[in-house]
Amino acid sequence: MSEMTYIGKSVPKVDAREKVTGQVIYAAEVHLPNMLYGKIVRCWEHSHARVTHLDLSEAAKVPGVVKVLGPGDVTRKLYNTGVLDLMVPEDMGKHLLGDIEDQRIFTDHVRHQGDAICGIIAESEEIAEQAARKVIALYEPLPVYLTAAESSQPGAFQFDERKPGNMAFQLPEQMFPNNAYGWGDVDAEMATADLIIEDTFYVPKVKQCQLEPHAYVAFYDQSGRLNCWTSTQMPKCVHNKLARLFELPISRVNLVSTTIGGGFGGRLGMVFEPETCAMAMAVPGHPVKVQSAREEDWVASESRHPGKYRLKMGFKNDGTPVAADAHFTSDAGAYFSHSSGVPFTAGSWLTGMYKYNAVRYKGDCYYTNQAPSGAFRGYGNPQTNFVLEQIVDQACLKLNIDPVEWRKRWHKQVGDDGWCIGVPYSSCSLDECLDRGAEAIGWKEKRARYATQSGTKRRGIGVSVMNHTSGAMPMLLEHTTCTVKMNEDASAVITIACSDLGQGSHTVLKQIAAETLGMPMEEIHLLVNMDAAGFDIGSHASRTTYVGGGAVLKACEDVKRQLIGRASTRLGIPVEELEIRDRHVVSKNKPRRPEGAIEDAADHLRNNVWGVGASMSIKEICNVGVYHFVNPMNGEANGIPGQIQGYASYFPSHNSPPFGACFAEVEVDIETGQVQVLELVMAHDIGRAINPKAVAGQLVGGSHQALGMALTEEIHYNAKGLCLTNSFTDYKMFGPLDMPKITTILVENPDPVAPYGLKSVGEAGPVNPVGATANAISNALGIMFTEAPITPEKILLAIAAQGLA
Amino acid sequence: MKNRLITLSVNGRNYRLNVEVNRTLLQALRDDLKLVDVKYGCGSGECGGCSVLVEGRECINSCLTLAVEMEGRNITTIGGMMRKGELHPIQQAFIDEGAIQCGFCTPGMVMKTASILAKNPCPSEDEIRRGLEGNICRCTGYENIVRAVQTASRVMHESDIQAAGGARP
Repeated sequence: MSEMTYIGKSVPKVDAREKVTGQVIYAAEVHLPNMLYGKIVRCWEHSHARVTHLDLSEAAKVPGVVKVLGPGDVTRKLYNTGVLDLMVPEDMGKHLLGDIEDQRIFTDHVRHQGDAICGIIAESEEIAEQAARKVIALYEPLPVYLTAAESSQPGAFQFDERKPGNMAFQLPEQMFPNNAYGWGDVDAEMATADLIIEDTFYVPKVKQCQLEPHAYVAFYDQSGRLNCWTSTQMPKCVHNKLARLFELPISRVNLVSTTIGGGFGGRLGMVFEPETCAMAMAVPGHPVKVQSAREEDWVASESRHPGKYRLKMGFKNDGTPVAADAHFTSDAGAYFSHSSGVPFTAGSWLTGMYKYNAVRYKGDCYYTNQAPSGAFRGYGNPQTNFVLEQIVDQACLKLNIDPVEWRKRWHKQVGDDGWCIGVPYSSCSLDECLDRGAEAIGWKEKRARYATQSGTKRRGIGVSVMNHTSGAMPMLLEHTTCTVKMNEDASAVITIACSDLGQGSHTVLKQIAAETLGMPMEEIHLLVNMDAAGFDIGSHASRTTYVGGGAVLKACEDVKRQLIGRASTRLGIPVEELEIRDRHVVSKNKPRRPEGAIEDAADHLRNNVWGVGASMSIKEICNVGVYHFVNPMNGEANGIPGQIQGYASYFPSHNSPPFGACFAEVEVDIETGQVQVLELVMAHDIGRAINPKAVAGQLVGGSHQALGMALTEEIHYNAKGLCLTNSFTDYKMFGPLDMPKITTILVENPDPVAPYGLKSVGEAGPVNPVGATANAISNALGIMFTEAPITPEKILLAIAAQGLA
Repeated sequence: MKNRLITLSVNGRNYRLNVEVNRTLLQALRDDLKLVDVKYGCGSGECGGCSVLVEGRECINSCLTLAVEMEGRNITTIGGMMRKGELHPIQQAFIDEGAIQCGFCTPGMVMKTASILAKNPCPSEDEIRRGLEGNICRCTGYENIVRAVQTASRVMHESDIQAAGGARP
């Protein structure tokens, strides 16, 4: 592996040229003959109500309206837009985790603002919208609950009879006694602590804000196939779920994965595919396009789980973390969706981080009348980071221990139990991340300098560490299938179902293929086609490069095995004496070709051109496998028949977790409460970077989402449960001027069990800048903030109440 | 709704359009002319995904502009940036600097960059960041986009000097 051609090279993204010329096709660009336009009619005036009367007759009369569809005109089957139920054994999902299906295409029980009540199909988008305004819906308002604390009250309206007390999920007693996981005797250990730090935090409801609004085309064609063009990040899972919902064999659903205009978890499962497909089923032979408006995304699609997160930690005077006791109660929002996933997983990042003598984590969530919570890049990790890393810093302050040194002393190492208890860490370079990051930002010097400050602008510097995962094995199903077809000219087509959200997964999968096959990337085509490709779970849990890459690697190795096998037969040399080099199967004894020398086909027939040992070109093997002839004169075949195809149905054996250290420096204006983030240093334990520029891009881009969660972003609702922040003006994300200087450091120590030693990066960015920024603010002011985002209002109120340190 | 006949030039090609007076330029470009390289991101001028260039200089949100206001104007979209099959230096810089992830903001970002550089060929980093405000990217954290603008500025400036008969600096 010492000389690599593609691994470790920042090749440009394979789709960059199409994107920069405006030629990629997002779902909204799909235009088909006879296309009609669908409009999902939503309830905008209530967040909880029963539809007592629905009159579609006036809407149906609008010229150009083709069909109006009420709840009874489409399938009444229940479904769950999340896809976690496909990732665990059915008995575990249903009986232990309590996954339920509780959504319908059109509902008569509105559970959040923006719930869909009916649909219009018309000849144009404008007509559909005009008709939507003619729908007459009368409602009986129901009590509105905005937090778990409200909906869990005795006597509260019951959202679902299967979920008493509106508790959508808690860790199941049968798996985890006392509904908690961890290890050791927390109470006994806590009793031995010299110092206990305890607080209850609030983590906000933040939005993925992918730039491409949800859009789809669905088409129930004359052959009886349901076609759906979607930019989902989980194409195979959505494929499966649509087939189930509409009771069709998977082979009669054609799911076309269009270019994805950002996902970040926002497309982790179905979004508005069910509504769009239901409309298409109602008008067979006519494609139906649904272009949702940006406003719909805010009210009707999923966000990060908000909630209360209590953490109590006990320490010895020497810093030993004797116990951690955590309880995250989150708001599920209106439907079940990821209710078992996020509350379960948030604790993994806590138990996976430090060597507590004992730890106990409880996670649960309750229905509310907010938009459903779901998956957002990091999946519980940013929430845990905000809480855990601040408590650790408070302890370091009280114990007078340097926060970097404390973390180096107490973070988990290789061989310790990983985030999934029982699966040990296969590699860990967090010490190197902390050392190099601390040096890059000038940790010691700035920490000392900011200890004594006066004036109206106070600076602070903070650190936060994280662990994550590469794929969700063994907690969830990890499986990707890959086929590599060798064409007769020795070019290759890789068929796979992995999606590319923009992170560059298709680029790195091609890099892995080119490296493994020893051929130019330009001669490899990556085909993403759900009819042709085998299974893949989808893009989640930072898995695509790790598991998808592993599948590509295995399938390419299968190709190599076949090539060497055929060459062995033809050349009469045992396979163990052959290798692939310079697009030839060559004898290992054969010296390397001199730089610049040209070897042609005729040379190969003569063999032994560059010394002893035979060789056979890959092109010849591939060619005669397809164009196979037998000489009628002598009965001799020109080679071994059969087109070469490599195949892998790959289940990884591990999850090679990445680690990271983030350092943040901030300046707080104590008169205005304004926080300016001056610098971030992100040092990431990547194992091996397949494409360093793409890795850095993930860290920097992810930090944008973390800084928003820490400082500015939150979805607000009024008392009626109506969304107050349903635009990019009201929901403040960092702009180009707000972003700090960012330094990324890639620490590359290949993981022993990973394909090419790689570890994930997709979800690392949005995690630890959250804790690092909070700790930097606390360092600047001497005040810990328990509620994110840390807005100027909260800062001024805290300064007024507590005074400055 | 009243209709009006307008003529406008998009990417060097002249079009005659009979549009409703309340139709936005975005609708006219995307739906009527099928120039779908212009993106709908929010419809309210907040994301910049629909940015187009007017008279090679001003960047506007086509979702906030009525088509009829564009009577007789020259509009450039990202689909009109290539010259003789070659990428424009701005496009090349976006590729080289890794400024593209999901690509949905890219058409708007490239047009905004063209406008920034048309008005100020050698902007400072602060001027670039100020100029990019109004165009949202959720993938990149803006860092590589800022670098792409800097690179494009340098390349275009050098080629200007060369075109004027000067040497490379």
